[in-house]
Amino acid sequence: MKGSGSPMRLKAAAVGWSFVILAVLMIVVFYFYPMIQALMLSFQTGTGANLSFNGMDNYKRLFTDSMFRTAVKNTFIYLIVQVPMMVLLALFLSTLLNDRTLKWKGFFRTAIFLPCITSLVAYSVIFKYLFAGDGLVNSLLLNLHLVSEPIQWITHPFWAKITIIIAITWRWTGYNMIFYLSGMQNIDPAIYEAAKIDGASSGRQFFGITIPMLKPIILFTSITSTIGTLQLFDEVMNITRGGPGNATASISQYIYDLSFKYSSDFGYAATVSYSIVIMIVVLSIIQFKVAGDRNG
Amino acid sequence: MKKTVSLILASLMLMLTLSACSGNSGGTSGSGGSEGSKNTGTTNSGSSGGSQEVTVWAWDPNFNIAALKLAKERFEAKQQDITVNIIEYAQDDIIQKLNTGLNSGTTKGLPNIVLIEDYRAQNFLQAYPDAFRDMSDVIKSDDFAEYKIGPTSYDGKQFGVPFDSGATGLYIRTDYLEQAGYTVDDVTNIDWNQFIEVGKKIKEVTGKDMLTQDPNDLGLIRVMAQSAGSWYLKEDGKTPNIADNPVIKEALETYKAMFDANIVKMNSDWSQFLAAFNNGDVASVPTGNWITPSVKAEASQSGNWAVVPIPRLGGSSSSVNASSLGGSSWYVMNMDGQDAAASFLADTFGSDSELYSDLLEQIGAIGSLKAAASGSAYEKGDDYFGGQKIYADFAKWTEEVPKVNYGLHTYAIEDILVIEIQNYLNGKDVDSVMRDAQTQAESQLQ
Amino acid sequence: MVKVRRFSMYVFLSVAAFISIFPFLWMIVSSTNASVDVTRGRLLPGMHFMDNLRNLLESVNILNAMKNSLIVSVSTTLLALLIASLAGYGFEIYRSKTKDIVFNILLLSMMIPFAAMMVPLYRLFGKITNLVPLIGIDTLAAVVLPTMTTAFLIFFFRQSTKMFPKELLEAGRIDGLSELGLFYRVFVPTMKTTYAAAAIITFMSSWNNYMWPLIILQTPQKQTIPLLISTLGSSYTPDYGLIMLAIVISTVPTAIVFFVMQKHFVAGMIGSIK
Repeated sequence: MKGSGSPMRLKAAAVGWSFVILAVLMIVVFYFYPMIQALMLSFQTGTGANLSFNGMDNYKRLFTDSMFRTAVKNTFIYLIVQVPMMVLLALFLSTLLNDRTLKWKGFFRTAIFLPCITSLVAYSVIFKYLFAGDGLVNSLLLNLHLVSEPIQWITHPFWAKITIIIAITWRWTGYNMIFYLSGMQNIDPAIYEAAKIDGASSGRQFFGITIPMLKPIILFTSITSTIGTLQLFDEVMNITRGGPGNATASISQYIYDLSFKYSSDFGYAATVSYSIVIMIVVLSIIQFKVAGDRNG
Repeated sequence: MKKTVSLILASLMLMLTLSACSGNSGGTSGSGGSEGSKNTGTTNSGSSGGSQEVTVWAWDPNFNIAALKLAKERFEAKQQDITVNIIEYAQDDIIQKLNTGLNSGTTKGLPNIVLIEDYRAQNFLQAYPDAFRDMSDVIKSDDFAEYKIGPTSYDGKQFGVPFDSGATGLYIRTDYLEQAGYTVDDVTNIDWNQFIEVGKKIKEVTGKDMLTQDPNDLGLIRVMAQSAGSWYLKEDGKTPNIADNPVIKEALETYKAMFDANIVKMNSDWSQFLAAFNNGDVASVPTGNWITPSVKAEASQSGNWAVVPIPRLGGSSSSVNASSLGGSSWYVMNMDGQDAAASFLADTFGSDSELYSDLLEQIGAIGSLKAAASGSAYEKGDDYFGGQKIYADFAKWTEEVPKVNYGLHTYAIEDILVIEIQNYLNGKDVDSVMRDAQTQAESQLQ
Repeated sequence: MVKVRRFSMYVFLSVAAFISIFPFLWMIVSSTNASVDVTRGRLLPGMHFMDNLRNLLESVNILNAMKNSLIVSVSTTLLALLIASLAGYGFEIYRSKTKDIVFNILLLSMMIPFAAMMVPLYRLFGKITNLVPLIGIDTLAAVVLPTMTTAFLIFFFRQSTKMFPKELLEAGRIDGLSELGLFYRVFVPTMKTTYAAAAIITFMSSWNNYMWPLIILQTPQKQTIPLLISTLGSSYTPDYGLIMLAIVISTVPTAIVFFVMQKHFVAGMIGSIK
């Protein structure tokens, strides 16, 4: 945009704003208005309709709340282990599925995408059945002599976390793949041709071309996956209910319990929600900085 | 591009027209009242002389919804002014909708009548004190089993119309008992220690576990506690009552003894719970009477089941062979149409013993209205249970269930206990388990 | 060497596809079994498909729920694509300091768990109902309104626009296209894949959306598919065969949308334009 005179520049600015104004208005009304109310709620206490302001007490309570601490710890374990694994797996799968000469592309893509449209109800019944003490996964492992006794996938604190991580990866890898596949259209095949002529291995091509070219999309999926993991609810609620004990409990599940399962403490639930917001903001800024994107 | 734009416009039009049509039909309902008129207290308020609609929310099509349908039929046959509109949701969904609606302070979209589980009732009654209608003027608390009154009343007012009994029994496989050398009499009116002994023997002979448990669901502990008239909370319904509560201690020890005896098959959800006894993997199911249809779902086991009184806690003298699990009750919302709603409940679940015998015969639901606890329907034997008159038995046990105050925090405390019980099963000693649970509950519930 | 690599690629993809698709197949098999067999984890097809279908059609109005879900998901997807792509394009192409700040603030709206906004949002719709009942509580429009603009999708379009070859715009300007014309005639056709991906994702999340429709809808005639399925599972004696059948039916539309849209994922499309 090289507007020379100031009326031109003004007009250019007006054009730019007109593209974004509808979106901005909608988000202000349907997100920021409720968010501000939730922020005010986070300084109040009481059950149901009997609310009163109590200053910073809710925020202080966070630091002494052992349930909250466990939920944060679990959530970060999921985040650190699961997000990088899934992003790499999704990138790898998309690279394979982006090959023009690949047969049955449509089938493979649809198959790998299917998990994220499978209804939660079915998903939880099936997963619990597969990972039960005498379930299919254990039978398979026992028959292949990979383990000597059945793994307690759902009822052992360590293995239950693994089960949750497997479940998230299973459900969301295909979802992230979509973004990469759509981004790969923007990479000029001539670049790969040139690399091949230079004798670059496919590994070199993947790390040297695919990843740098897809950087904006990788940044996007990393941030949205981080948000998704910090707000993780469905998998935990439906597969382990946070158990055994609270070994797999997540922050969002705690918010749900505070609001609906226990005595409807909407004020403290809002406080816990804002703690998630703060964590995500910090993590996102870090990710923007690492990616060298100027938005941060 | 034009195609896309016209598509968007068309879909918008479609959406608006559709919501417009259905908007009109919703306008006649007592709950969705488009004007939001505030003539509380008068029947037929606002609506133009015609019939009034009462909206009811409940869960479980085979039980509560089926019961509502029978009640609606009988009620609408008697009068023309009020029609009953039954809406089915999952229980968790009702809790979310009710909390969100009540909290946002708008009565739009709330039902006239809602079913609430007894464990959660006090929470709703105390958190939203003006939201429910006092039913003292249309029903008498004395007409219902005494243990249902505590959860359904608050501050001396009777808010709930008590519904299903939730009375527990021990469903047991007679064929497994026989193989292990026992008779039904050997497991009638026993305590939990005897139960465990029988379980060990059955496991030894048949290889089957005695019962199945989901470690996240402490229903069994609740059953044990109530059988001794005790609870996680003191009488006030607010103070945690774990550390110095001998009943809870015995319940925990009994629970652990079952795991130590290796007679518990683990499950992690409802479908696995059902599968455990439908598959014949367990010899008994100690639970509420609402499980009857699920037990009977496996036709091939017909004649192999009996129901005996739930075991008691041997070490607690107050413990009896009767308890309750997961009953619920009806509540009227304090808003437009409340009198119509109240009259529906008063005429049906509040007094109609004939309705209750229909409920029993057609869906196997046992109520808590005392007047309805006998009659020909109860005297029928059930061939699935070897001709046993199970309904007469459950009706008798319903009268014996000890009264407790579930209070405000049943599920909050249970989540703490679930964690501590994991530690207990892994070797932590029982006194520190109870002390730690108490400390956590106190700091969390304040 | 190349053949071996090719072969191992197919093996890897087949394994990944099998793992992904297995629960889905299991669901289809289960829809032909009786409830008791489903809870047993029976892996063979049974004879109960017709029974399950009949019971399903008798007990709930699944076609009506499908219709509602289609109305909601199609309108949400079309509106969301339009609004978010305009905004994503606007934020990147007409970049300014102020807009960057506004954009970063918008991103904040993705970060709060929905559970925290539910009560205030419901209160807002209580007020809207008084003014314009047509888009208030218990209307399908109320399901669409708060979900059709997401920072998530704006962010996606903006990141994709970063990869869009800006030379094409300059070329268009020289040809005398207006700013809106550039968007419609140059950006939209070039970014087909991005639109396809956005359509898939938006349709899917709208189709599966559960919490908000649950809260805002009241009358059973307006029920969407996820609400119906949740109701089916509400029983102490759930009929799992019937539930699995309902789920299989409910999954078909999203699968079709995906299958049709993924054909637009053509490798190196922009490269071939130049």
